[in-house]
Amino acid sequence: MLGRLGRWIDERAHLSELWQSQMVDYKVPKNLTFPYAFGIMALVAFAIQVISGIFLTMYYQPDVNKAFDSVNYTIMKEVPFMWLIRQVHAAGANFFLAVVYLHIFTGIYYNAYKKPRELTWIVGWLIYFVLLTTALTGYLLPWGQLSYWGMVVTAEIPTSIDSAPIIGKLKIGETISLWMKGGYEIGQITLGRFFGLHIWLLPLILLLLVGIHLYLVRAAGISNPEGREIDKKKEGVPFHPYITLKEGAYVMGYLAVFFFFVFFHMSHFLPADNYDPADPFKTPAHIAPEWYLLAYYTIFRSIPDKFLGFVAFNLSLLFLLLLPFLDFSPLKSARNRPLFFVMFVVLVISSMALTVLGTMPPTPTNAILGLLFTGGLFAFFLSLPLISIIEWGWYKARGGEKR
Amino acid sequence: MIKTVFFTAISLIFFYIIWINNFFAHKEKYEMPAQYARIAEDVKSYAREGKQLFEQNCQACHSVRYDSVYISAVQANPKLKTLQEKYGKVLPKDVYEGVFNEDLMALKESFGKVPPDLSTIYLVKGKEYLFNFTLEPQKVLPGTSMPAVMTGRPEETAKIVAYLKSVSEPTPEEKSKRVLMGIGTIAYLVVMGILIWLWKGKILKRMGLH
Ligand code: HEC
Ligand code: HEM
Repeated sequence: MLGRLGRWIDERAHLSELWQSQMVDYKVPKNLTFPYAFGIMALVAFAIQVISGIFLTMYYQPDVNKAFDSVNYTIMKEVPFMWLIRQVHAAGANFFLAVVYLHIFTGIYYNAYKKPRELTWIVGWLIYFVLLTTALTGYLLPWGQLSYWGMVVTAEIPTSIDSAPIIGKLKIGETISLWMKGGYEIGQITLGRFFGLHIWLLPLILLLLVGIHLYLVRAAGISNPEGREIDKKKEGVPFHPYITLKEGAYVMGYLAVFFFFVFFHMSHFLPADNYDPADPFKTPAHIAPEWYLLAYYTIFRSIPDKFLGFVAFNLSLLFLLLLPFLDFSPLKSARNRPLFFVMFVVLVISSMALTVLGTMPPTPTNAILGLLFTGGLFAFFLSLPLISIIEWGWYKARGGEKR
Repeated sequence: MIKTVFFTAISLIFFYIIWINNFFAHKEKYEMPAQYARIAEDVKSYAREGKQLFEQNCQACHSVRYDSVYISAVQANPKLKTLQEKYGKVLPKDVYEGVFNEDLMALKESFGKVPPDLSTIYLVKGKEYLFNFTLEPQKVLPGTSMPAVMTGRPEETAKIVAYLKSVSEPTPEEKSKRVLMGIGTIAYLVVMGILIWLWKGKILKRMGLH
């Protein structure tokens, strides 16, 4: 009966042809390493956010008088199992960003941003950027002390443009800051706007971007750890069942770790200070952004001049976007590029150190360390054109031989 | 191989620091004698007594809205019952603060600020801070307007902390249910992961791809 129904539908919708052409006849290299699974994990994390988020909207109330209680009483204590949904959503946001970071670093390591995949990289960067704003807007919604004061500090950052000579006169920074808050202070207008952005606009944009990203991945074919394009007819293995099963097993492992945190270690994802309701008259002792923004925050904070600090952290975002054009070497994948490998290690250590420094108090030593690692981060990006020129030399010397 | 070990190790260390135990970050620590810590932990035996002690010693100034405990002046007001019939036992914050504004402002007059509602304070401060602060407010928070009402009564203070814990945290039965749920979920995922991995090996062998 079920089989007949299936055939009836298939004769009309041709789903099995779609499956065959998209999943089975689609060939991928056999030597994909574990980090290639971060892409799938990011997709799973996105699905988890959307599903848990939809359930949260059923009880959450975007009203400055009610938001905190709707989260901490209705959701956490009153409605059965909503505590679980909230913990999944809060931990999920952190895992989503963690996986996206790992995915980005994987892409850098294997040079997956190079021709013909520049567009995939650019769309991926847009996903990352929109994801950061999604997390930032979501963090205001529980209306706790950290939500409120974190946003106060964040909305201050653009005003550092105004300390610049000449353009500072235009008060662009203040305008941006006002525009972010929806007024002179963070209140009902801000909360309402952020709610709309967080649950509708930004997730829809993300969905669109993720769709384009996946299409582009398919269109260009998956990259290869060895840094060469494979001949799919000869070397490729079918996506299904080879990759689906392999990465399916990885995803189960990922979810196991994820649920370990959800059930047993929420203290970082729902920090203690955010159980205190927002109070505009009481500044908490330690205000720092969430960990996924700390590297930028440390760059901003370590540079003595506010305007330069602002420029520097935006520049690091911009360099990330322009990576395919900074690195124009004919060689691909850190496996074949010793100089690139060294600079990649510098990048990894610098960005991790900048993040950890962001959690520490701003002592003079920490400021110097911050500058040092900011230097490391920029050294990576700025060394790329040089490395590319050197590698073009090697490449020509070998008679343009492909590796 | 060395590279894999290096990148795996550095990522794990990184996430350990920022998500589990950041030994670089500055934390305030408060001490609490073990015998009182045991009382504050033991919600089952002491929360009920703690609630009575709270009503006697703290309710004049503090509410615990999530447990429908309001400041004494409000509790004595006949309007409260009518409102609770309409809105439920836990009144919405704006209704509570609006209707009983006068009572709250009277407290503000005396202490410079409305004493905070203590529904979630246990989650914010933890038992050590609450114990020390309640016992000796001036020592922990110099200049605070909260009077020392529990001087020389550490055991009763610990019981009040147990009560505050019982309001903020799920009940012990609920907690053990959640632990079981967690273990079940994780075990399911691990087993599924292993099965999929084995199945993959089998299918690939049959397809001659391995
Ligand atoms: C006479 C009024 C009064 C009584 C009685 C009272 N408090 Fe307070 N309490 C205050 C005031 C006022 C504050 C605000 C102090 C501040 O922020 O400086 C406060 C603050 C607090 C805080 C928050 C401290 C912080 O760090 O933010 C806690 C916890 C607390 N009280 C617990 C208790 C407990 C437990 C009792 C009963 C044993 C109690 N209080 C009895 C007036 C009172
Ligand atoms: C796409 C990626 C998403 C990210 C990264 C994200 C992130 C976050 C974060 C960090 C919070 C604060 C959590 C807390 O401290 O409690 C939050 C809250 C919330 N989110 Fe999302 N979210 C996403 C998608 C969604 C979607 C699609 C919806 C709804 C359709 C949604 C609805 C909500 C609601 C209602 C809250 C407030 C409740 C609460 O604070 O727990 N989110 N989100």
